[in-house]
Amino acid sequence: MAVHKRSYRSYAGALTPAWSRFTIITRYAFKNLFRSKMLTAYFVCCFFYPVGCAAALYLNHNLSFLSIFKVHEIFAVDADFFLHFLGVQSFFAFILMAIVGPGLVSPDLANNALPLYLCRPFSRAEYVVGKMAILVWLLSLITWIPGLILFLIEASLSGAAWAWANLGLAWGIFIGSAIETLVFSLLSLAISAWIKRKLAAGAALLGVFFFGSGLAQVINAVLETKNGYLIDLGNLLTTVDASLFGHTDVVNARISAGSAWIALIAACVFCVALLERKVRAYEIVVG
Amino acid sequence: MNEAQNRIVFEDVSKFYGDVLGVNRVNLSVPPGITSLVGPNGSGKTTLMNLMTGLVQPTRGRISILGIAPDDPERLFRVVGYCTQFDSFPRGMTGYQFIYSYLRLFGYAHAQSSELAMRAIERVSLTDAAGRKIAGYSKGMRQRIKLAQAICHNPSVLVLDEPLNGLDPLIRAETIALFRALAAEGLHLIISSHVLHEVDVISDQVILLSNGYVVAEGEIKGVRDEIEDHPMQVLIRCDKPGELASQIFHNDYVVEARIHKDRQGVLVKTRDADRFYLLLNKIAQNGIEIESVAPADDDVLSVYEYLIGTEESTK
Amino acid sequence: MNERPWGLWWTQVRAVMRLELKKTLFSRRGIWVYFLAFVPVIIFAAHSIYMMKLGRAGDIGEDTHTFAEIFQLFYLRLAIFFGCVGIFMNLFRGEVLDKSLHYYFLAPVRRTVLLAGKFLSGLLAASVIFGTSMVLQFVALYWYFDSSTRQEYLFHGHGLAHLAAYLGVTLLACLGYGAVFLAAGVMFRNPLLPTAAVLVWEAINAILPAALQHISVIFYLKSLCPVTIPGDISLDKGNPLGFIAMNPAPASAVTAIVGLLALSIVAVAFSSRQLRHMEIDYGSD
Repeated sequence: MAVHKRSYRSYAGALTPAWSRFTIITRYAFKNLFRSKMLTAYFVCCFFYPVGCAAALYLNHNLSFLSIFKVHEIFAVDADFFLHFLGVQSFFAFILMAIVGPGLVSPDLANNALPLYLCRPFSRAEYVVGKMAILVWLLSLITWIPGLILFLIEASLSGAAWAWANLGLAWGIFIGSAIETLVFSLLSLAISAWIKRKLAAGAALLGVFFFGSGLAQVINAVLETKNGYLIDLGNLLTTVDASLFGHTDVVNARISAGSAWIALIAACVFCVALLERKVRAYEIVVG
Repeated sequence: MNEAQNRIVFEDVSKFYGDVLGVNRVNLSVPPGITSLVGPNGSGKTTLMNLMTGLVQPTRGRISILGIAPDDPERLFRVVGYCTQFDSFPRGMTGYQFIYSYLRLFGYAHAQSSELAMRAIERVSLTDAAGRKIAGYSKGMRQRIKLAQAICHNPSVLVLDEPLNGLDPLIRAETIALFRALAAEGLHLIISSHVLHEVDVISDQVILLSNGYVVAEGEIKGVRDEIEDHPMQVLIRCDKPGELASQIFHNDYVVEARIHKDRQGVLVKTRDADRFYLLLNKIAQNGIEIESVAPADDDVLSVYEYLIGTEESTK
Repeated sequence: MNERPWGLWWTQVRAVMRLELKKTLFSRRGIWVYFLAFVPVIIFAAHSIYMMKLGRAGDIGEDTHTFAEIFQLFYLRLAIFFGCVGIFMNLFRGEVLDKSLHYYFLAPVRRTVLLAGKFLSGLLAASVIFGTSMVLQFVALYWYFDSSTRQEYLFHGHGLAHLAAYLGVTLLACLGYGAVFLAAGVMFRNPLLPTAAVLVWEAINAILPAALQHISVIFYLKSLCPVTIPGDISLDKGNPLGFIAMNPAPASAVTAIVGLLALSIVAVAFSSRQLRHMEIDYGSD
């Protein structure tokens, strides 16, 4: 007679909610990322300009400071101010994406780690959302969150009337940053998923922006059109931001805001399709 | 050919990776036959092999492979084949293309490269898969195609880093037979392996490494004889184990005499094996029928445990 | 004294080239280089088709000027530049990232011979890809002109001379950038940093002191271009790439060719020296 001693007991304790499991990837990624002193230092630098802006807003309303210069205000806090703020922070966001983005999926593909994630109760969508959340968080922290804080500071200093009159600016800050964050995140994820080498993925990411911009110029010059801008992601984002802040001169000089929106949405859909094809638990090797 | 030109010689070789020690003050002179490198993770086995083949350069000291310096690849790799531990291959190649293109680098013409490639592939039993892409190979097949790449140009020295990894038992046995055949042809085979009982079976000599230092080298029995801290263990099979134990125990060079679990023999630990064997001859003439006498701890596993310790995991 | 085995070395160079050309010209990984090279052809072809469809007569002088701008500001500085980054940095750094360089190092091949084989294969591949694209761009741009105008421009005007000059500049660009990125690939673990550094160096070339201007590829290439574009020109003033559109003072043709060859020889010699001491250390990459 055989005696089968059963000593194994599966885990029977409480589980975290299924919806929150994607955050595991994000949490561990943050831990890893901020081990790099370079990245941490750069991330801190990303806040210098917002802090400077906050100080400037305060001084702009400080009567004793203004009395030195005998003026009502040093600068106008209007659409130009916030558009410029977004422009500067977008530059920082672009560099941050170029540093962080290439390493999101490519190491998992290169080391065959995807099956390890996906053999658990963890879907492909959760994996992508988890990875995307890394960039979404990082970029949000340096774009729309400080932007809205600046808006609130100005509102508290100028009063509710200013806030009501300029509510569109808050909307512009949020939507402009959100679309930029979405495009940057999806693009980095898609490139990182298709190019296994992290360094090559980084180069490709820069190439999409720089070469795309150059190519757009060539198309415009040779074909005597403005449609070349449709492949220039940097210009598309600038056009959308300009339209959100009511800068029609920029929009008129390039392509319509509607076209820019459609091109950006198309780019996002294309990136999602690329991710759908590549983020799988298996890889077909023709041998 | 003088003696040095038929040996692999390390003279006071050290290798540091920045502040990290690879190997330190290694002095070796390896004769033909199968030599195994044994040691735990990070002990310096792969560093030693990479130094031999010029993939890394020594921080100090001199290395000579059959009289050739490793920094002379043109001459060295005519006589040396190296099967590395890297499980990576040039992209998009079939097994045949991999070996063939490697042989073309030697300067061989198409026909000769093709013939040598097919012969090597046949020796590692991969003929059927030669036309398939390596990317689709199993772990064992990849290991074998690497082996084919190392032997395809008929080298005199074969350096094999964990060559039995990933092989199934049948192929493992075939590969060991291949090693033996190559050693019988007069080749130097330097093998690192973590499967100690296999090392024991195939090796003519061993080099034990720990933390970058060579802790022992030579024929396994000779190494065992020199470990004086651990008394030699001998298993004696006889008809009266209790009587045998009582007769030998009072001798001062016998440290321990224990009846074997199956009660068919005695396990003896002695500090002086020669005197013990003389004693055993006398006892055999006094009515105890001795069936066999065999050393119980002159294998690689025991030597490894004595010199490096059981707590260290082997690679 | 031992005689040098030139015959064997040449055989080995050809064996390396056979392997490398297959990888560079026919692998899926290299498709983007074709994209960089041939996208201007498509644009010029679209332009020609558009003009033919409208039945508009073109201005050959205007098109020649447009071509010169695009060649210097886009083709040389972006397409060939990044194409050479991809091809030449991959020769050694790509093998390190793929963990397959040791197979070359385990063959009885002198490392200088290996370098020569790899560099020549990269040069041949880049020249074929970008040279072919250059010729096709020329054809595509002037296709829509009627045959008599074309004949006049090609055989009685500057046409053929310009084509030959642009082709020569393209090949020299492949040589110059190829040598620089080969050296960078052998020397640096992270190829993005040297690429960015070279890009910036090439971009600020015009504002550097005269002596430093000579230590760049673009200085010599621009000197050899048959059509000069104004120094302050940019395809679009608001374009973020405008900063690369500066013009150094030109050098004579002989100086330019000799300078570029000298720069390339120095870069290849440096790579060879580095490669001789290169160790296999995939772990840290």
